[in-house]
Amino acid sequence: MRGTDQTVSLSPAGERVGERAFLLCLLMTSCAALRPIPLPKEAELHRAKTDDGWEVSLTRYKAVGETKGFPVVLCHGISANERNMDLDEQHSMARWIASQGREAWTVSLRGTGTSDTIDADHKRPGPIFFDDYWRHDLPAVIDYVKRTSGASAIDYAGHSMGGMVLYAYLSQGGQGVHAAATMGSPTRLDWGTGMESLLKTLGPVFVSPESMIPSGVGALLASPFQGAMEDGPFQRFFYNPQSTETETWRRLMVYGTAPVSGGTALQLISLMDTGQFQTFDGKIDLRADMAKITTPVLVVAGRLDRIAVAPAVKDGYRALGGPKEWLLMTRANGSRGEYGHMDMVIGERASTELWPKVLMFFDKATPVAPLPSGPPEVLPSIPAAR
Amino acid sequence: MLSLLLLATPAELKVSHRKVITEDGASLALHRFLPLGRASALPPVLLLADVGFGRPLFDFKGGGLARWLAARGRLVYVAELRGQGASDAGHSLRTVVHLDLPAIAKAIAAERSGPIDLVAQGFMGTLAIAASTRELQVRRVVALSTPVVQEEPTELARAFLSTGGRFTSLASSPEGFGMFEQLFALGAEIEPSVMRGLAGSTRDLSSGVSSELLAWMETGDLPLDDGTSVVSRLKESDRPTLLLLGLADGFTPSESCVPLRGMTKGKVQIQMFSRVVEGDDFAHASLLLGRRAPAFVYPSIERFLAATP
Repeated sequence: MRGTDQTVSLSPAGERVGERAFLLCLLMTSCAALRPIPLPKEAELHRAKTDDGWEVSLTRYKAVGETKGFPVVLCHGISANERNMDLDEQHSMARWIASQGREAWTVSLRGTGTSDTIDADHKRPGPIFFDDYWRHDLPAVIDYVKRTSGASAIDYAGHSMGGMVLYAYLSQGGQGVHAAATMGSPTRLDWGTGMESLLKTLGPVFVSPESMIPSGVGALLASPFQGAMEDGPFQRFFYNPQSTETETWRRLMVYGTAPVSGGTALQLISLMDTGQFQTFDGKIDLRADMAKITTPVLVVAGRLDRIAVAPAVKDGYRALGGPKEWLLMTRANGSRGEYGHMDMVIGERASTELWPKVLMFFDKATPVAPLPSGPPEVLPSIPAAR
Repeated sequence: MLSLLLLATPAELKVSHRKVITEDGASLALHRFLPLGRASALPPVLLLADVGFGRPLFDFKGGGLARWLAARGRLVYVAELRGQGASDAGHSLRTVVHLDLPAIAKAIAAERSGPIDLVAQGFMGTLAIAASTRELQVRRVVALSTPVVQEEPTELARAFLSTGGRFTSLASSPEGFGMFEQLFALGAEIEPSVMRGLAGSTRDLSSGVSSELLAWMETGDLPLDDGTSVVSRLKESDRPTLLLLGLADGFTPSESCVPLRGMTKGKVQIQMFSRVVEGDDFAHASLLLGRRAPAFVYPSIERFLAATP
């Protein structure tokens, strides 16, 4: 009688196929386990049309209780989408702001989230440059939010490139912003770091303006492995485990990331090469024009932000012409953990350590104006797909 | 085998120590590290630590930048200015520029004439760069986190300086040591024994110096006794400079240092280290004594100082 312990022998090639199949299954099940958490039922989906014919998606979070102050527009950074500002119930700057009596709006810039992306068949051949965000997307968003909310102005909080978009917009005379906060938003990136030389060398070789870098897919595929390695590359680069839990970061990778347009990537890489914050064609020195900005701005940096290093953020602060405040997030200033780049929007304690300071800045920028009386113009909202 | 190993062991570095007396009678410690092997024709290198620190920042238990450079043929001096290490007490930062550095320069010139290469850290480094326009004859400068503009001190730095800058209290309790870590070695890849030893080697600031420092941080400038100021002198500096920065410096944060580029007449090259590439964010002390300093920081310094016109 044959023994009951049977083993199946595989050839080396068969073993490799088996290993790959196992890894694929593991990856798929891991990704499936990390499905996006739906938006809350109170979130309203909207779309604003830009002056060059693109649609950008917006999500509205109505104020809880009595409405105070201006609506707050929240804008993500590069390779990200609006879910950065509303990852889940515990990590949501949008819901937190709404809970404080302010209407909040999150936005996905073109090419990210559910906003329009490059599509030659629909007269959107691209490429997408950073300049498109401040020239077309942000004006459309501000106009749409003002009209929908019936507000005379908005407050604005931008993370990383989302803050740079604001700087560029305001520097060229953009209107409608009452006060703003930028979080980890650099205006100069030539600091002699090892990463700079890598990106400067490889960027122009592998990236064309017309391309879309599939960083969102890359993040999704890498998400199951987050936390497998202590002090891994994503952790080193994007967040500080003192401030953000791995599970939170993993969730962001699954549904908070987006492809990066080649044009935008090249324009930002040029900041590393030239040290200049300027338009892609080099004709407008955006940094120099930031001296014309009169909108009050709170500039926030993280001590251990390894993407927008503190001097890069401080450079923007120094360039601003109007009322401004500097806030460095670090234990040496009272926070319980050090702050990296993403900790400012998804950090476990951002809602107690940072966002109240942002809102306080908005509140004191000028006396809080009541929203105009009378019903606002009602614009159609798109039913939320849940 | 043993004889082979003995042959492979480098000869012992020769280190000597002497006192230098300033014009007003203060005694300063000057430590000399003779080059190992064939001496370089390049100028001697003067190493200066920031306030509160001294020689151990460059020479700690057989390691450190001083021995590293000497082992590569450079004649190295570590000077301890007033208030540092084995030198007399200091009551004003201005004496560093007007009295201490001229005395050190004279002592070095007596042994080796000509300009020096300068490697200087923090506020003391900024003072030394200011002195390089008058009192010190300098060829090239490596500036280690040298602040040059106003920067609102963190709550912790303010608390530390407004209570007199008592460095020694940082080494005497777990709470103080935590403060030391945040100010000087945030998240650093540094041997705990090195950090403890370094903290234990510091000296308290005088009340005069801590007040001057706080005012300097808040205003961005320090008036000097000859009618100039630190900033006005920095604007005159034309020496080639390498500015090395740690991302995690909690005492002289990088954002207060980078405006040196654009402020001086000379070319300033910036190099910033972070955990992403170098495996350490490098802070004030770990930039010099961290585990990874010999792999990343020291070679940058050596390369820059090895350049000839």
